[in-house]
Amino acid sequence: MIRMENVGLQYGHGPEVLKNISMHIKPGSFHFLTGPSGAGKTTLLRLLFLSLQPTNGNVHLFGQNATNVTPSRRAQLRRRIGIVFQDFRLLDHLTTWENVALPLRVIGKRVSNYKEDVTDLLQWVGLGDRMYGFPPVLSGGEKQRAAIARAVIGKPELLLADEPTGNVDPQMARRLLRLFIELNRLGTSVVIATHDHQLMKQFKAPRLELHDGTIEIIG
Amino acid sequence: MSIENRLIENKFSENRISEFHAPTRQTRATAPIVPAGSVTGRSLTIVVSIMCFLGCLTAGAVYLINQSAAAWFADIASEVTVQIKPIDNTDIEKRMTHVALYLAKQPGIKSVRPLSERDSTSLLEPWLGQNEAISLLPVPRLIALQIDRKAPPDLKVLTRNIENSFQGVTLDDHRYWQAQIRTVTRSLALSGIAVLILMGAATTAIIVSATKSALASNREIVEVLHFVGATDKFIAREFEKHFLALGIRAGLMGALFATVIFMLLPAIIRLIGGNAVTAAEIRRLIGTASLDPPGYILLAIVVIVIAALCMITSRYGVFRILHNRH
Repeated sequence: MIRMENVGLQYGHGPEVLKNISMHIKPGSFHFLTGPSGAGKTTLLRLLFLSLQPTNGNVHLFGQNATNVTPSRRAQLRRRIGIVFQDFRLLDHLTTWENVALPLRVIGKRVSNYKEDVTDLLQWVGLGDRMYGFPPVLSGGEKQRAAIARAVIGKPELLLADEPTGNVDPQMARRLLRLFIELNRLGTSVVIATHDHQLMKQFKAPRLELHDGTIEIIG
Repeated sequence: MSIENRLIENKFSENRISEFHAPTRQTRATAPIVPAGSVTGRSLTIVVSIMCFLGCLTAGAVYLINQSAAAWFADIASEVTVQIKPIDNTDIEKRMTHVALYLAKQPGIKSVRPLSERDSTSLLEPWLGQNEAISLLPVPRLIALQIDRKAPPDLKVLTRNIENSFQGVTLDDHRYWQAQIRTVTRSLALSGIAVLILMGAATTAIIVSATKSALASNREIVEVLHFVGATDKFIAREFEKHFLALGIRAGLMGALFATVIFMLLPAIIRLIGGNAVTAAEIRRLIGTASLDPPGYILLAIVVIVIAALCMITSRYGVFRILHNRH
């Protein structure tokens, strides 16, 4: 699913954020990505999401070398990945429903084919009464849930989430974790970057721990 | 059935009945991903409308002139003039009669109309005024011939025969004037096309600049679209829709104002044309100055071209900017 070979990354002439990282994430696996603030968790996720190019080494996604791919190939690969950003990245002028439906709209699906799925998913993440609200009037937790719904609506093969439970209460955090677990059972590989030790205790999964730009796989 | 079970059974299928309460409010299925207001503002619409207005005026004016020129051309081409110069000690009226009778027998000539002495001298009045002295001048006499345009005579042979048969008689086939009209109308048409090209270039430059601004102000939307798997083509289409709508809206506004001008033009000419003689001269020059249906179709074509220009320019603009960003 994901294979990194001696991947290094530095921003401009700054210090190396990631150093010589090699790892393999198998299809259908579940990983937590942890490490102290500034360890490079978000950078690693951005590499996996192809919004950054490694300075050294290669990133393989879905069995293909994903380093220096064409824009159109990158778009095709991203359709197989769901991502939850720490800052949500919802579009303020679209309703919550429209934000969640965006990945399906982008691939050219007809509204009639996904209308119910989007509505059901929003009901399930507890945004049934907010689906026609706009992001600026949603709370942080509601935005978080909308962002997660947008990431999973397309049933991605790989789900990357950056602190997906950072803005929700423990009960909702458990519920969202359950969603990630169910998606994983269906075959989606999941990588969750988190500081939340309570969350990691609830589900036994290998941890990718980042320290000073290097990675250690625990469990 | 819970959403987890649905996920497990992969039941996110199409066309199934949900046990959840469907929302009563209609979803905005076609809500624009890129907000229209952030792409095409009012000032841009006004600028493109003005460009289209000027484009329509130019195209309409060139069309009117071409129409008038075609009418002049048809008139001139179907008529030739025979000129009989006065010769001392000869009866010019008798010569006129002989020449007219000769011409009437020639093939390809529909009618022969000898102009009276008064008609001939009156042709000089615009230059010399109404002057008794004109009657004392040796003014050549004229015979107007209407040519059968379906079976025209060989004018070279006719000229040679007349000149050989009669002394002091020449035939003017107006070729000089035809060439002059052709040159003038072609020059005007080329000037009009040059003006239209310049306007098109200016509109393109405006749209390129507007596309850059639109992409800059919607940078976050473009990023999110890329993150959810949108191709550059999809993103370009989202921007292109707004520019096409702008082109149509602004184009129609410009064409509407131009149509009003063309409808009022005859009245305006009457108002500024002064006396009846001047108005008649202007009418002779540019016809009735009102557009016919093909003329209005030409204005519609200008609108289509402006709208297409807006759409295509924005599409390539977005592609180029996104390509450079990659």
